[in-house]
Amino acid sequence: MGLPIPPRPSAPAGLLDRCAAERVTGALRGPHGCFYLLDGAVYCVEDAAAPGLEARLTAAGKVPPQGWQYAVETAGPQLRGGQFLVSEGWLTQGELEICHLAALLDAAFFALPLPPEATSFTPGTAHWLGAVRRVSATALQQATARRRALLDQLRPWAAVDTSPVIPVHARASARTTSRQRRLLDRADGRHTPHELARALGQSAFMTLLDIRRLAAAGLIHVPQAPAALPRRQPGASLDGHPPPAAEEHHTPTWQLPVPELLDTADPDIALLVRLRTALEENL
Amino acid sequence: MAQMESALADAMSTIEGAIGVALVDYTSGMALATLGDNQALDLNIAAAGNTDVVRAKMRTMEMLELQGAIEDMLITLTGQYHIIRPVSGKGGSGLFLYLVLDRKRANLALARHRLARLEADLEV
Repeated sequence: MGLPIPPRPSAPAGLLDRCAAERVTGALRGPHGCFYLLDGAVYCVEDAAAPGLEARLTAAGKVPPQGWQYAVETAGPQLRGGQFLVSEGWLTQGELEICHLAALLDAAFFALPLPPEATSFTPGTAHWLGAVRRVSATALQQATARRRALLDQLRPWAAVDTSPVIPVHARASARTTSRQRRLLDRADGRHTPHELARALGQSAFMTLLDIRRLAAAGLIHVPQAPAALPRRQPGASLDGHPPPAAEEHHTPTWQLPVPELLDTADPDIALLVRLRTALEENL
Repeated sequence: MAQMESALADAMSTIEGAIGVALVDYTSGMALATLGDNQALDLNIAAAGNTDVVRAKMRTMEMLELQGAIEDMLITLTGQYHIIRPVSGKGGSGLFLYLVLDRKRANLALARHRLARLEADLEV
């Protein structure tokens, strides 16, 4: 269910800046995510593409099973969810702040920019976690722009953003970071980078960056169709069973990738050569 | 670990000659927490700028195929020491600590030792 990377923010003075200038309190809901504001500062961002605090803490084993729901029910109405997690002894205040800010930064990357025509503001709406930490709209947008520039450097490999990937085993000796090795272990050709990030409870942005780097190093590749494009098959399931159609027809059906994934200003010759070699190997 | 700022405040008070300290996300350059004299040095700008230093060094290590991880980096100015220490965490947390010291008052060995302890406190 990977979402495409949103385009670079165009207008410098966006909705967030206006909210900051007017020091508003409430929720700003865009097409991808939702920003919660207190006096114009952002204190929580939720986005479907990025694992939230719950996914991170659960994956790290910090919050017991059902603990999250318990926290929502107990401390949610008073908007003190964050403090509740700490008072239960599940994590320290510092851990909460770091995890919360990391999740906020990650979600903001996918939720920005907010298109004015598709964004609604609800005054007064607050998030049940409460204001654990606040970030100024300017700092958040600058941080997001720097992250986008970093990902843009690897633009020729953008095709792996939304596709399930599998490791290329022949190149196992190449140098990788421990985070990349964990990704290689989990990359099974069925899960997209966004799903891998959620399973590992780690930043979706960092996962995209690592996946693109691994693709650039030739350590992963997109498996051949049809399994490579589950989004084209409404019946496909993620629980390990191949879609029924795949069992009935053994002849692979080639499907065209999404056109905009192939849009690039400067064709990457090395990538094209590698693609041709890979295609020739499969003839 | 206590609140992030208080962990930094702890470090500041126990490290002789500390002017400022920041905890920074190195893909975005955003300072998650800063503490110190912002008159002497804008820690937010220093944080953002030094992400490039960290990334450049990490990339160089990759290209040289050097084994081992970066414990810290020292930048020596005529009047200050700047120490950058990536927070290792499990699988790399994507954060680094940035410490600015007054060179006349600082004890470099002790400061590095204290910073290592702060990093251990911050591991998430």
